[in-house]
Amino acid sequence: MPAGLLTGFRVLDLGSGISAPWCAKILADYGAEVIKIEVPGSGDDARRMGPFAGDDPDLEKSLTFLYLNTNKKGVTLDPSSVSGRRLLDRLLAGADVLVENYPPARSKELGLDYASLAGINPGLVVTSITPFGQTGPYRDFQATDIVTYALSGLMYHSGDSDQSPLRSVLDQSFYVAGANAAAATQVALFARLTSGEGQQVDVAATECLGAHLVQPVPYYNYMGAVKGRRPVRGAGFEELMPARDGYVAPSVQGSQPWSAIAGLIGGEELQDEKFATGAGRVAHGEELRELLIKGLARWDRMPLFLASGEQRLVFGMAQDAGDLAECPHLQARDFFVEVDHPVVGVAQYPGMAVRLPGETITASRPAPLLGQHNSEIFGQELGYSPEDLISLRQHGVI
Amino acid sequence: MPPAPKPLKRLAPLKNIRVLDLSRVFAMPFAGANLADLGAEVIKIDTCQAQFMDTTRTLTGPFPDNQPGELWWEQGGTFQNLNRGKRSLTLDLRSEESQKIIKDLVGVCDVVLENFTPRVMARFGLDFQSLRDRKPDLIMVSNTGYGHSGPWSNFGAMASALEPTHGTGAFMGYMEEGEDGRLTDGQVPNKMGNSYSDFLATWTALSSLMAALLRRARTGEGQWIDLAMYQTGTTVIGAGLLDYAFNGRRTQRIGNRHPVWSPHGVYPCQGHDQWVAIASRDESDWQAVCLGMGMPELASDPRFADPIDRRRHQEELDEIISAWTSARTSYQVMETLQGAGAPAGAVLTAKQALTDPQYLDRGFFETVHNPPEAGLRPKGYVGRGWKFSRSEAEIRGPAPRLGEANEYVLGELLGIDQDRLKVLAEDRTIGNLPEGGGAPGAVPLDEQVELGWIAEYDADYLEKLPRV
Repeated sequence: MPAGLLTGFRVLDLGSGISAPWCAKILADYGAEVIKIEVPGSGDDARRMGPFAGDDPDLEKSLTFLYLNTNKKGVTLDPSSVSGRRLLDRLLAGADVLVENYPPARSKELGLDYASLAGINPGLVVTSITPFGQTGPYRDFQATDIVTYALSGLMYHSGDSDQSPLRSVLDQSFYVAGANAAAATQVALFARLTSGEGQQVDVAATECLGAHLVQPVPYYNYMGAVKGRRPVRGAGFEELMPARDGYVAPSVQGSQPWSAIAGLIGGEELQDEKFATGAGRVAHGEELRELLIKGLARWDRMPLFLASGEQRLVFGMAQDAGDLAECPHLQARDFFVEVDHPVVGVAQYPGMAVRLPGETITASRPAPLLGQHNSEIFGQELGYSPEDLISLRQHGVI
Repeated sequence: MPPAPKPLKRLAPLKNIRVLDLSRVFAMPFAGANLADLGAEVIKIDTCQAQFMDTTRTLTGPFPDNQPGELWWEQGGTFQNLNRGKRSLTLDLRSEESQKIIKDLVGVCDVVLENFTPRVMARFGLDFQSLRDRKPDLIMVSNTGYGHSGPWSNFGAMASALEPTHGTGAFMGYMEEGEDGRLTDGQVPNKMGNSYSDFLATWTALSSLMAALLRRARTGEGQWIDLAMYQTGTTVIGAGLLDYAFNGRRTQRIGNRHPVWSPHGVYPCQGHDQWVAIASRDESDWQAVCLGMGMPELASDPRFADPIDRRRHQEELDEIISAWTSARTSYQVMETLQGAGAPAGAVLTAKQALTDPQYLDRGFFETVHNPPEAGLRPKGYVGRGWKFSRSEAEIRGPAPRLGEANEYVLGELLGIDQDRLKVLAEDRTIGNLPEGGGAPGAVPLDEQVELGWIAEYDADYLEKLPRV
C-alpha cells in the first residue's frame, strides 16, 4: 500500500523515458493517484529501453519501465487526434497535476503549453521537465543523459584526472531531474492551498545537476581555481582501493584518531606518526598508498565495512546489484517491496528512499500494461460506452 | 549587524513556514537553503565552540582569494551556498539549558531538519518522540547514512564513502584493454564525485517534506521522515537491481559508451582537459553527426552501416571522431553538431558554467550581496533547477553571520529576558565569535595544482567572470 501522504491528489503522467515517470512515481509512492498516459501502440519510450526481463525486448518486459511505473494506472490516448485530445481534456479537468517531458517545441505543437492547459483547468499544476528548460538558447537542443550531464557542469568532476570525464550509466541526470520535479510540483500544490491557482513548473535537468556545484562554483568565483577530477595519486583515502573480494573506500573522516584507522586496516608501518595528519598523508602519499594496499589485501569488503562502522569510522565498500539485493540492512528495514506483474511475474523491487513510520509498505501495484485501465478510466469514470471504446480503438485513438 | 533576509515577495510559497535547522555539512543544510529560497524562515543552529561548528564554516572553504581572513568562519564559499537566506542562533547542544531552548523553539517551528546519528539526538533528548510532545503536528526529517533502524543504523556516513556502498559506483567505470587488445567492460567501480549522495538526499528531503506539509495542511497530522542516504542512492539504480532480480546481472562498467547507441562518449577538444559529449540515438542522429563533421562518406561506410556495426566498430569510430573534435573547441563542436541536429554538449567546467549562455540567459547563478563587514564581494551562487510561473523562489540573502539572530530568536520568538541573555552570553552559549579554533591553513594554488586538488587556476579570474 502506498504511504498516503498525498492521498486524494490526482496526477496525470504524460511523460516518457525517465524524468517525468520518475517524478510521477515518487508522487505515487507518497500516495497520489497517478494515471499514466501513453501513446497507443508504442507506449512510453522506456518500454523500449533495456534491460529487459529474460533479455527479451518486449514492450511489457522493460525493467526500466517496470521500475519507474509501479503504483500507477495506465491508459492510452493519442493527444494529437481530436478524440484523443477530448479524452485528455476530460482527464485534465479532474486532475491536480500534469507531468510531461516533451521537448518545448513539441508540447506547444500539441497544444500542451501552459496557457492552453490553464484554460481547461486553472487549478492545474503543470510540471514540464526538459534537459535545458523552456527558455534560453539551448532549449531546442537535442539532448540525452550524457549531453545533459556534460552541459550541467557536473560531469567534468566525475572520474579520474588522468582520463576523460566519466558518465554514470542508468541515466542519472533524469533521475535527479525527476526527484527535483517531485519536490517542485508539491511546492506548487502547496502554493495552491492559499492562491487557489495552479501554475507552470519549468524543470531543467541541467540546472538540477548544476545545483550540485556548491563547491566547484565558489572555487572559481572565490579564488579562480578550476576544481578537477580526483587525482589518481593522492592521500589514499576516499578512493576506491582493492580489498580481497572487491573494492573498498577507506576514509579518515569521523572523530577517531589515526591510530584507530591504522589499527583497523592493519600493519605496523601504517601506525607511523607521519601519517597522522592530513599534511603528512599528502607528503607521504605514495608510501601510504602502498601500505594501504598491503593492509587492505587482508580484508574482505563486508567484514572491513562492519568493523569500521562499529569503531565509528566511516568506510565504504563497492557493492553491486547482487550485493544490494541480499543486503541484510536493507532487508531489516523492509526496503524491498514485492511486485507481481502479469507478464514477468513476481520480484523484489527497490522501495522508497524514506521510511515513514506508521506506514509500512510491503507490496506495490505493478506497472500497468499498455492501456490496461482504458475501460476503467474512460468507460466507468468518464462514461464512454463499450461501443465508444471500440470506436476509439478502431481509430487508433486508444 | 547584517540585515535580516530580504522581505518576502507576495507569493513566496513557504512564507508561513518556520524551520529549525539542526543539520550540518551538505545534504540537509542545502535542503534548508532551498526552503529559505521558497520563503521559509530557516533558523540554523550554530555554536560558538569552534570544534563543534559545522565543518563547512571552519574547514571546507574555499576562501576569498584562498586566504582565510580574520573572519574565516563567515567566509567559506561552500558554506555561503549551503546556508544562504537563513538566520543563525548559537547554542551549546551539550548543555541542558540549550536542549530546553531547542524544545521551546520546536514549539514555534513547523519543521525540524537534522542529520545526527540516531544515538546523538536521543542523548540530547531531542528525538522525534520527545519533540513531538512539544509540537504535536511537527514534521521532522532525520537524515542519516543508513536510517534509524536496522543493524547499520548507528554507522556514520559521508557521501564519498557511501557512493560506492549504495551501488551507483557499480554502474560506472572506465573500460579496460582486454586480451585481444580491444576495450572491454572495466573491473574498477568509480564515483560521480562531488558528494553525489548528499544531493540525492537533499532532493529526497524536499519531496518527502513537501508531501508531509501537504498532508498536514489537510489533516493536521505531523510526520517523522527517516531518510537513509543509503536507500536514496539505491532507488536511482532500480533498473540495475531489477536486472539482477530477473537476469542475474550484477554490474555494468562500459566507460562512456551506451549499452545500445553508438557513437556515444566524450571526445577531446582544443585546450587543456576540454571535452565534448556526443550521442547518437538513431539513424537520424548518426546522419547528423556525419554531416556535421563534414564526412557524409562515413554514413555509407560499411563498418558503420547500422547501429550494431557501429557498436562493434566503436573504437575505430571514436578515433575518427576524436581526430575531428581535437581540432575544435568543445563549444564549436557542440554548435556544429547541434546545428546539424545531433545531440552534443560541451563538458563544462564550473568556470565555463559561470559564463555559459544558457545558464546566464536563465539567470541560474543568483547574485548575493554580503554586508561590507563580511569582506565578501558580490558573487553568483547556484540557484535551483525549477522555475515557477507564479510563485517566487530566489536566494534571499547571504548565509547568516554567527549568532546574528540570537536576540531575535531568544528574545522575540521565545520571550527570554535580557538578564537571562546576559548569562547565556557570559557562559559563551550565545555569541558572535568562535571559541577556540582558528583559521585553517591555506595551501597555495600552485601547490594545489601540483597535488591534483585543482586542475588549474586563473589569477585574473575576476576579469573572466560576468559582472554581478
